[in-house]
Amino acid sequence: MKSFPRSLIVTALALGALFAAPAHAAKDVVFAVASTFTTTDPYDANDTLSQAMAKSFYEGLYGFDKDMKMIPVLAESYEVTKDGLTYIVKLKKGIKFHDGTDFNAAAVKANFDRVTNPDNKLKRYGLYSNIGKTEVVDDYTAKITLKTPFSAFLNNLAHPSGVMISPAAMTKYGKDISANPVGTGPFKFVEWQRTDYLKVAKFDGYWKKGYPKVDTITWKPVVDNNSRAAMMQTGEAHFTYPVPYEQAETLKAKPELEVVAAPSIVLRYLSMNTQQKPFDNPKVREAIAYSINKDALAKVAFGGYAFAAPGVVPEGVEYNVKLGPWPYDLAKAKKLLAEAGYPNGFETELWSAYNHSTAQKVTQFLQQQLGQIGIKAKITLLEAGQRVEKVESWQDPATAPVRLYYVGWSSSTGEADWAIRPLLASGSFPPSLFNTAYYKSDKVDADIKAALATTDKTEKTKFYRDAQEQIWKDAPWAPLVVEKLLSAHNKKLTGVYTMPDSSFNFTEVDLKP
Amino acid sequence: MLQYIVKRLLGLLPTLLIVGGLVFMFVHLLPGDPARLAAGPDATPETVALVRQDLGLDRSLPEQFVRFTTGVLRGDFGRSLRTKRPVSTEVGERFMPTFWLTLAAMSWSVVIGMLIGVVSAVWRNRWPDRLGMTLAVSGISFPAFALGMVLMQIFAVQLNWLPTVGAASWKHYILPSLTLGAAVAAIMARFTRSSFVEILQEDYVRTARAKGLSENVVVIKHGLRNALIPVVTMMGLQFGFLLGGSIVVEVVFNWPGMGRLLVDAVDMRDYPVIQAEVLLFSLEFILINLIVDVLYAVINPTIRYR
Repeated sequence: MKSFPRSLIVTALALGALFAAPAHAAKDVVFAVASTFTTTDPYDANDTLSQAMAKSFYEGLYGFDKDMKMIPVLAESYEVTKDGLTYIVKLKKGIKFHDGTDFNAAAVKANFDRVTNPDNKLKRYGLYSNIGKTEVVDDYTAKITLKTPFSAFLNNLAHPSGVMISPAAMTKYGKDISANPVGTGPFKFVEWQRTDYLKVAKFDGYWKKGYPKVDTITWKPVVDNNSRAAMMQTGEAHFTYPVPYEQAETLKAKPELEVVAAPSIVLRYLSMNTQQKPFDNPKVREAIAYSINKDALAKVAFGGYAFAAPGVVPEGVEYNVKLGPWPYDLAKAKKLLAEAGYPNGFETELWSAYNHSTAQKVTQFLQQQLGQIGIKAKITLLEAGQRVEKVESWQDPATAPVRLYYVGWSSSTGEADWAIRPLLASGSFPPSLFNTAYYKSDKVDADIKAALATTDKTEKTKFYRDAQEQIWKDAPWAPLVVEKLLSAHNKKLTGVYTMPDSSFNFTEVDLKP
Repeated sequence: MLQYIVKRLLGLLPTLLIVGGLVFMFVHLLPGDPARLAAGPDATPETVALVRQDLGLDRSLPEQFVRFTTGVLRGDFGRSLRTKRPVSTEVGERFMPTFWLTLAAMSWSVVIGMLIGVVSAVWRNRWPDRLGMTLAVSGISFPAFALGMVLMQIFAVQLNWLPTVGAASWKHYILPSLTLGAAVAAIMARFTRSSFVEILQEDYVRTARAKGLSENVVVIKHGLRNALIPVVTMMGLQFGFLLGGSIVVEVVFNWPGMGRLLVDAVDMRDYPVIQAEVLLFSLEFILINLIVDVLYAVINPTIRYR
C-alpha cells in the first residue's frame, strides 16, 4: 500500500467521483407525518396513514384521484351481471411487479384468496369477506363472484387496502410480506427503519411512462406537531400533514412554504342516545340541534378550518345530499324543549370520543351552548381504551350508558353506504358497529338494503336521498361541522395533495430544483 | 465483595417475578379491549374476533399469564400486538438510542452540576453561590418540553446550526441531551452543594486546614471524596430515571427511544410491550442500585460488604 503512488490514488478518486456524479441532481423528497406506520401490508392496516404510505409501492385495480373520484388503475374496465353478483374485470396489459413477475389475473386471484381466507387473520378481512370466489378467465380477465349483491363493491376495490401484491413475493416472504412490500407502484421499497423513516426509490420499470418524477421519497413519522412544523421551516421536510391550527399562521408567514386547507369528508357530529330519556323525544333532539351555533364552533374550536355540516353525509362522498346546515335558533330550541316537557332543561352526560385539545375545546363550547337552553352537560373526554369499553364494545343496547356523544367519521370507501350503514342502520348498534345514537328507522334500514342490492345509479341515488332526508328529519344527531385538512408544503414541491379522507395523493409529485 | 454481588444478583429473581406478576395484573386491568383497538375504527365484529384470536387474547387470563411467564423464562417476551414483531426486537432497537442519549445527558450534567455545587459551597452565600443556585432552581423549574421547543426554535429554526429531530449523527444529540440534562445538572448542583457545605464544617477538614494544607487539597481531596456518597446515590437514581426514556424529550425530538415506545404501547394497549418495558425498567434500577453500592466501597474504603 505504501509503495502505491499517491497521484494514482488521487486520479482514481477523481475519476470515481466523476462517474458517480449523477446526470441530474437527485430529487429526494421528505414527507413528515404524524405517527409511526404499523405495517406495509395494506390488507393488515387499519390506519389511513399506513395505507397512504403504501401507495408508494402498491396499486389496486381501482383507486381514487385527489378529489376522491374513482378511477381505474390496474383495471382496464369492468362489467357486472344484472343480479349484481358477478364482476368481470379486464386488466391492463404489460404491467410488471417490482420483482419482475407479470401482473395478471392469477395475481388478482392470489390477492383476494389471501384476504378472504379467515386463517390469514388480516385486519381488512371484513371489507372483502363478501367475495365468494375469484376465478381466472384468461390472463387478463378476472371474474369475482360475491356472496350477496353489494353495489358499492367497486369502491371496496378502490379502497387503499385493496392492492395487488406480487404472488411470487407472497410465497417467498410468507408472513413477512408485511415488511417486504413488492407491488406494481411507482416506487420500490428500499428500507424501513421502524423508529426513524421508511424510504422508497423510483421504480424504473413503472408502467406509466414518465412517472414517477422524483427519485426517492422518505416518509418520516414525527409525533410532535411543533417538531414537524420546525422541520418544515428548516427545510428538512418538504411536506407535512397534519398542521395544527395554531401553527398555520407561523408557517404561512414563511415565504418558501405554502399552507393548504383542503376540504375533507370528516364529519363531526353529536350523537344522542335515542333509546333513552329524554333523547327518545324527537323534540328534545331537535332542540339540541337548534341550540348549537355551528359557525361559531368552527371558529372557536377549529381555528376557522371547518364549516357547518351541510347534511348527514358530507360533500365529496358519493350520493350525498345537501340538507342544511341545521340553523342556529335559540327561541325555537327553547320552545321545542318546553313542548317536550323540559322548560327548565335537564342534566345529562356529554362524552367525547377523543381526548385531544380540539375535542376539549369542542365539548366546552357545546356545554356552554347547551347551557343556553338550560341543559347542564357533564363533560368526560374518553381515552381510547375507555371509549372502547364504555361505547364501542357495550354489549346490551338497552343499558348503554352513552348519552350525548361527540365523535366524527369519514367514509373510507368514499361512498354513501359506508357513511350511513355503520352509523345509522339498526343492525349497527355497538358492539357490532358504531350506531351510538341507537337509532332505528325501518325506512332507513329498507333504503340502505335496497340501495346495496341495485346496480342502477338513479335508483341508488333515490334510495340514499330518501334515507338522508329521513335521518335529517329524525335528528338522531346534531350535525356539527365538516373539517378542513391543513397541510403544508415547500413551494418547490408540487403534486402532493391531502385527499378528503386524509389520505395522500402523490402520483404527480415533483420537486423543482 | 464478589460474594456480595452474587448474592444481590440472585436476590433479583424474586423481585422481578413479583414485578412481573403485578405488571401483568395492572396491564390487564386497564379498561379497553386491545383487539378492538388493534382492529381499527371501522372493523366489523368478525374482524375483531379474528384479530382477538390472532393476538391470543381469546384465552383465559390465567392461561395468558402462564404463557407469559414461561415465555419470559425462555427469554421470549411474545409479539407486539401492534406490529406483530417480537417484543425483544421492538425493545432492543429502542434501547440503545435511549441509552446513548442518557449517557450524553448524564456526562455533561454530572460534571457541570458538581462543578456548580462545589463552587457554590466553597463561596457560600456569595455571588458565585447565588448565581449557581439561581441557575439550578431555573433548571429544575423549567419544564423539559418548553426547554426543548425553545432550544429547537433558536438553534435549529432560527440559526440553522443543528438538525431538528432524529438521532442520526452526533449533532442530533446536542439539543436533546441539553434538554434532558438540564434538570439533572440542577439537581446534582443542589445536592453537591448541600453535601459539601456539611463536609466543610467537619472536624477533619478543620484538622486538614490546621495542618497547613492548601485550600485546593482540602477541597478536592478531603472534601470532594467524602461529599460524593450522597451525590453518587442521586446520580444512580437519575440515571435510572433517564434510562426509562424521557417521554417528553423523546416526543419533542422524535427520538427513537423507549419513552416513545411506551406511549405508543399504552395507547394501543400493547400488553406484551408494556410488560417487557416495565420489567426492563425494574431490572435497570436494581442493577444501578447495585453499582451504586459497589461505588460506595470504592469511594470510601472504610465501607465493607459481607
